[in-house]
Amino acid sequence: MLANVRMGELKVADTLGDELAVVGLGSCIALALCDSEAPVAGLAHVVLSTSPGGGSDQPGKYADTAVPALLAAVLGAGARRRRLRAVLIGGARMFATGLDIGARNAEAVTAALTSAGIPISATDVGGIRGRTARVQVGGEVTSQMAGLERNVLLVLGRAVLA
Amino acid sequence: MTTYNESQLDALRELANIASGTAATSLSQMLGREIGLSVPRALALPFADAVDAVGEPSETVTAVALPVDGDISGAVLLLIDEAGAAALCGLLGVEPDSEIGDSALCEIGNILGAGYLSAIGAITGHELLPCPPHSATDMLGAVVASMLAQAAGADDTALLLDSELDVAGEPCAISFLLIAEADAISHLLAPLGLASGGA
Repeated sequence: MLANVRMGELKVADTLGDELAVVGLGSCIALALCDSEAPVAGLAHVVLSTSPGGGSDQPGKYADTAVPALLAAVLGAGARRRRLRAVLIGGARMFATGLDIGARNAEAVTAALTSAGIPISATDVGGIRGRTARVQVGGEVTSQMAGLERNVLLVLGRAVLA
Repeated sequence: MTTYNESQLDALRELANIASGTAATSLSQMLGREIGLSVPRALALPFADAVDAVGEPSETVTAVALPVDGDISGAVLLLIDEAGAAALCGLLGVEPDSEIGDSALCEIGNILGAGYLSAIGAITGHELLPCPPHSATDMLGAVVASMLAQAAGADDTALLLDSELDVAGEPCAISFLLIAEADAISHLLAPLGLASGGA
């Protein structure tokens, strides 16, 4: 099954082979949190760095709320905290205008992961090109730019493959 | 989430219609071709739905973005598919997929965007100034989401005014979007006497 994670959303998959994807990331960050052994993975589509406060009904939209919300969601689905691996994809600057929202998003997600004690296994962030992020439970985490091959950032499911 | 009633959305559509008509006239003069104009759509959408409302996120498009400065926070975004970008460059006598081709498309965006914004400004009495245009050729999802984040990010609802232009005799369709935060809706509607309350 393939689930598309739209702007501000976060989703968890816990069935081997299921896929979570963000098609067409620009300045947004796709944050994947994956259990390195069990078949559990989550993906958040982070739009901006800092929530306005007062509690949003879309925790996935902001870096500072997306990290704790995604963490709670994958732990709730059976992931173990010490086996979690994070991957960041996106954060591009599509237009050379205004603030560099992509860079700020990448910094904010990195900071929130660091304070939560989650190691970052791989990143494919920055630049001026859009990307598509895919996470397959028990499979691979990949990033792909238009017209290019998929770039494998993390291979999951050691226990499953063994 | 704030919602808007039909008469408010009608007024926004009419605003978009007049503004994109102005833009179509200047494009027609520039290209020496007739320009067809569809009935615009006015959409006040939750963020997550906004990209899907514009098109297929993986489709490659050339996008010209003009952030708007002034009384509302927003941006004008022109989306041209690959065949359309090549056709427009052909009409202007420049090489597509080249620096001068991109620069020509930026200039089209500039002229259309400035005409569109000045028409909206004239009707509503607001000052809406286009910032210099920038272009990117990439996935539709990536360009639309990035402009949404920049122009309407702080809100849970985005306003999209979507007009479709086509160039007579050419395989060229141009999507012309005004992206703004939901607050902008009341700013645009107030001078028309339609600002009060959602339905």
